[in-house]
Amino acid sequence: MMDKKRVTILTSIILFCFIAVLFRLADIMLVRHRELAKRSRTQYLIVQDIKPKRGTVYDRKGRELAVNLELDSLYGIPSEVEDAKDTALKLSSLIKVSDSTLEHRLSRGGDFVWISRKLDPKITNRIKEMNLPGLEFLPETKRVYPKGTLAAHVLGFCDIDNKGIEGIELKYDNYIKGRSRKLMLGRDAFGKNLSTGSIPEISGDNIVLTIDEDLQYIVDKELDKAMQETHARAAVAVMMNPETGEILAMADRPAYDPNNPSAFSPADRRNRAITDCYEPGSVFKAILVSGVIQENIFPLSQTFDCSKGSIEVGGRIIHDAERHGVLTLTQVVQKSSNVGAIQIGMRFGKERYYKYIKAFGFGEKTGIDLPGEVSGMLKEPSRWSGVSIGSISIGQEIAVTPLQLLRAYCAIANGGYLLKPYIVSEITDAEGKPVKVFGPQRIRRVISERTSRIVTDILTTVTEDGGTAAKAALDGNPVAGKTGTAQMVDPETRRYSHSKYASSFIGFVPADKPRIALIVVIFEPKGEHYGGHVAGPVFKRIAEQSLTYLNIPIEKDNHLLLVEHDEDR
Amino acid sequence: MIDRRTIKNFDWFNLCIVLSLSIIGVLTIYSATRPLPGVEQPPFYLKQSYWILFSTLGLLLITGIDYRWFQRAAYLLFVIGIILLVLVLAVGRKGLGAQRWIPLGPLSFQPAEFFKIFFIMAIARYLSGLGCPANLTLKNIMKMAGIFLFAAVILLLKQPDLGTAIMFVFIFFALIMVAGVKRKTILIIVLVALISIPFIGHIIWDGLKEYQRNRIVAFIEPAVDPLGIGYHITQSKVAIGSGGFLGKGYLHGTQGFLRFLPERHTDFIFSIFSEEWGFVGALLLFVLYLLLLLRSLDTARKAKDLFGTYLSAGLGFMLAFYFVINIGMTLGIMPVVGVPLPFLSYGGTALLSNYIAIGIIMNVRMRRFSLFY
Repeated sequence: MMDKKRVTILTSIILFCFIAVLFRLADIMLVRHRELAKRSRTQYLIVQDIKPKRGTVYDRKGRELAVNLELDSLYGIPSEVEDAKDTALKLSSLIKVSDSTLEHRLSRGGDFVWISRKLDPKITNRIKEMNLPGLEFLPETKRVYPKGTLAAHVLGFCDIDNKGIEGIELKYDNYIKGRSRKLMLGRDAFGKNLSTGSIPEISGDNIVLTIDEDLQYIVDKELDKAMQETHARAAVAVMMNPETGEILAMADRPAYDPNNPSAFSPADRRNRAITDCYEPGSVFKAILVSGVIQENIFPLSQTFDCSKGSIEVGGRIIHDAERHGVLTLTQVVQKSSNVGAIQIGMRFGKERYYKYIKAFGFGEKTGIDLPGEVSGMLKEPSRWSGVSIGSISIGQEIAVTPLQLLRAYCAIANGGYLLKPYIVSEITDAEGKPVKVFGPQRIRRVISERTSRIVTDILTTVTEDGGTAAKAALDGNPVAGKTGTAQMVDPETRRYSHSKYASSFIGFVPADKPRIALIVVIFEPKGEHYGGHVAGPVFKRIAEQSLTYLNIPIEKDNHLLLVEHDEDR
Repeated sequence: MIDRRTIKNFDWFNLCIVLSLSIIGVLTIYSATRPLPGVEQPPFYLKQSYWILFSTLGLLLITGIDYRWFQRAAYLLFVIGIILLVLVLAVGRKGLGAQRWIPLGPLSFQPAEFFKIFFIMAIARYLSGLGCPANLTLKNIMKMAGIFLFAAVILLLKQPDLGTAIMFVFIFFALIMVAGVKRKTILIIVLVALISIPFIGHIIWDGLKEYQRNRIVAFIEPAVDPLGIGYHITQSKVAIGSGGFLGKGYLHGTQGFLRFLPERHTDFIFSIFSEEWGFVGALLLFVLYLLLLLRSLDTARKAKDLFGTYLSAGLGFMLAFYFVINIGMTLGIMPVVGVPLPFLSYGGTALLSNYIAIGIIMNVRMRRFSLFY
């Protein structure tokens, strides 16, 4: 009926158009796909850095010792500030920056200048109410130590940028600070953010300490009391589990508040338990005796004539505090006779003695996971003078840290093993899953089981009647320990001072089955300075409360009481 | 009027293609208007679904009326259409800088959408009266243009609706070609057109609205101002191009969802579709449209009378024109003239009129064997 040719021609023309469009489609969808897909991505995805929050630091029972607080920081956009002088004046009444400084900062141009960081929320609100142009807030987290001074020297602190500066915060900064994550955020054509919820919070790893907050509290409280009573310059106490090397408490005085570290002098923020070394004095006699017994130098029944009350060694005359008669080995330690100890030392010989000092871990860092530890000072035997064997026998001419001493005593307490002390038991991630777990680490065996038992028995006599540290004795539980009263070297005269002492007591309890080892060092107490009188009672008070807290039953003489108690139930 | 044979010959093929395209449309509208979290989804996809149901009923109704009734009513409908177009300019509702809608109670409709069918009917009736081949002379063509084309185009440009106006010109000449034009006449028309473009071009340019000029500038050089006039085209290309071979997956496109692409559920729905379904999906769409077009031209060939031939061919060309212009626009090879993609773009009036167009083509096909009484 109609000319089909013309329909066909028109159909062909339209088909041609279809194919032309198809070619263009293939060009855009296949050839230019990469370029256009990238364009699509970049126009709706923005990369945002999320800063992680610092991880929490817990005590061994999961109590928070270091946490974070969200605070607003104030910054200025100088180019948007209308009246720098007026703005500065209004701000200076609220924050601790002078108006001239503020005016200078706000009028020098640019897009960003910090004004005051981590402000009190009340001040933030008042500044927000003023509605000044060119002022903006940025939420930041502030590191907060809810327990204040408690374990401050262990925890350390952070700077304004939340970077660890001291203590655990510094040592484990890489774990605690976390890794900032890049987040791809979608946004629509009008720049509106797509994620309706808040930006996911990420945080660094948490640290679980071996510290027990309650034990730390006991130690803190007793050290404060001791500082008050003795008017000492400083004090240190460290409590350790002698079987494992876990630090249960570590306290330094003077105290400082890590929430406001800049208000305290750097000296007060130092963790003296590991950063300061001093001449230990008589507490060191236990090291000498351990070596002598281990090496079987003479029978235990050997006696030493101390009746002269002094002894000459290498041209120096060393006195006892009081005159003793003939003393057994045990009595030399119990009465802390210098004359006896020097005789023992001379019999022992410098090479062998040095070997034991080294073996007990002196002259080397304990390896505790805290920053700033020092190794102390220990001379090679070849550099010892004639007087050295005498001095070192009574704990002079050698410098040690309180932690080194405590560790050496733990070796005596635990049957002869030198341990690596540690203060972090676990690192967990934000979900609480363990990242790293730490356990006891034996470095070497120093003395035999037998020697350790004998030395423990000897040290137990120190706190018994006739010992130098009867004041450190506990009702019911035997304490093995040793007093020390070391003269400190006057930094001006470089000679032993007659007024500056380091009074100490180290011990472990219960002596036969030690649960805690504790060192108390009081630096430069005023008045009374004998270790047994100054540090002994502090040891006793701490140990007593700690044993009660740890539910360690009172053993000696009190069996009946315990039985009755059981029947009551 | 409806005998058993007509029902037996019902054109299921066309209906299936149209319904498939419509379903793809609803799905894509859903994805394109999917809101940002926390905002309610605008009910475009639901409205479109209702319109599809309504339009299907319209289509079935149209297939029930013998198309020769349209032949008889063609001129009357054309006059009614012209009146409606005048009415639009008088009382029409403005939207997006153009006056295209007539409010009708709670709804509103675009008379131009129906007028294009009346226009094709009127031309088909006129041409069918000239016999075949019509061997149209220049005089014939001028006369036809005077009667049918000029008034319609001027009224459409007044709205302004440049896209539909261009389509009218296109269909007018396409149908004249089908009817048969003397070779000499074709030559004269082409020559006159070539010579007059530099002169008329200036007049047309001045007569265009600001936004229409912008679109043409943007078409020629989209990079002039990517966030201004060229923005549509650039974002459309980003959407299509980022789809790649297999696409980003349904509901995984970003260009529409994140509102980078304006008119995402109407004129630029193809961009959203290709972003999510990729080259493979776009190819499928091409095939569906091609089948629809070839089917209507096949119907034109097989129609039992000239009116049926011209009617089917005209309506088929209309759909093909829409498709090529719309896709070309989204690909940046045609100017942005605001032409929707038939069956996919959101819009009730356009959907109904396109369903009616398909209904008429089906009508012609179903009755190709019936005898004249």
